[in-house]
Amino acid sequence: MDKLIIAGREFKSRLLVGTGKFASCEIMAKALEKSGTEIVTVALRRVNIENENDDMLVAIDRKRYLLLPNTSGARDADEAVRLSRLARAATGINWVKLEVTPDPYYLLPDPIETLKAAEILVKDGFVVLPYINADPVLCKRLEDVGTATVMPLASPIGSNQGLKTRAALEIIIEQSNIPVVVDAGLGLPSHAADAMEMGADAVLVNTAIAAAAEPAEMAEAFKLAVEAGRKAYKSRPAAASQKASASSPLTGFLRNI
Amino acid sequence: METLKINGVEKEFAAGIPATVVELLKQLDIEAATVVAEIDGQIVEQAKFDQAALRKGQSIELIRFVPGG
Repeated sequence: MDKLIIAGREFKSRLLVGTGKFASCEIMAKALEKSGTEIVTVALRRVNIENENDDMLVAIDRKRYLLLPNTSGARDADEAVRLSRLARAATGINWVKLEVTPDPYYLLPDPIETLKAAEILVKDGFVVLPYINADPVLCKRLEDVGTATVMPLASPIGSNQGLKTRAALEIIIEQSNIPVVVDAGLGLPSHAADAMEMGADAVLVNTAIAAAAEPAEMAEAFKLAVEAGRKAYKSRPAAASQKASASSPLTGFLRNI
Repeated sequence: METLKINGVEKEFAAGIPATVVELLKQLDIEAATVVAEIDGQIVEQAKFDQAALRKGQSIELIRFVPGG
């Protein structure tokens, strides 16, 4: 498969995987392996000083996966910038999945605060992958300030509703000069394949894998779907038409005219 | 008694506050390698935990990666 290039770095896999909601570190590690992913997202939170648990990072092979810290929990640009800088201090990695979601019910991203934070972070040397609503104009504005990708949502985070933003995603993909990573709401491998067939450069999946009864198997199903979708896109699909078009010859029938 | 505010909660240190971030993490039994700290809003990198002196009344944030999408 042709390589995904983000900020000059090459990836064989076009599936990014989130690490939330897995029942255990072992189940997560197995699912990451089966997914073939090379980029995994993590969040930053306060250490629970009263009840110190094992660190989940132990289960993620840092040589194999690029850690992509997110700024989840940030409600405005200042909080997102602060979290990004903490993540950089913790990992030495300057990549960040920028998320600013002030609304707790739908977790929809705030476009104004996201653009503001993106501008600050790009100037500060970060590789910024912003999570946004599927807004073609916002995507161009983010591209203009120098983000590495855009990550428009398919439907609300964790909702498994699939490509509810299809029409806007088509415009975004058509117009974008940076990779388009469809993020959030992809509930089934067919949703991921659909996004890839439309020409998305990559997809990010978390809940649909982590909350499946068999996460490792579902991770592999998403891997195959993403590969199939990409291959189909690169094969330039045949046109759809209203009427039938016979695939067998229309001559030499066993009857007299 | 000397206190530090750690992750938003006042914590008392009967024997005096720890001298550095490394000492603090030891007392709290937290693995330093996976943590990043802020002292009064200023980020302290792991490599500097042993040099980062603490003073009473400071506000410390101890943060680490957790699962997330």
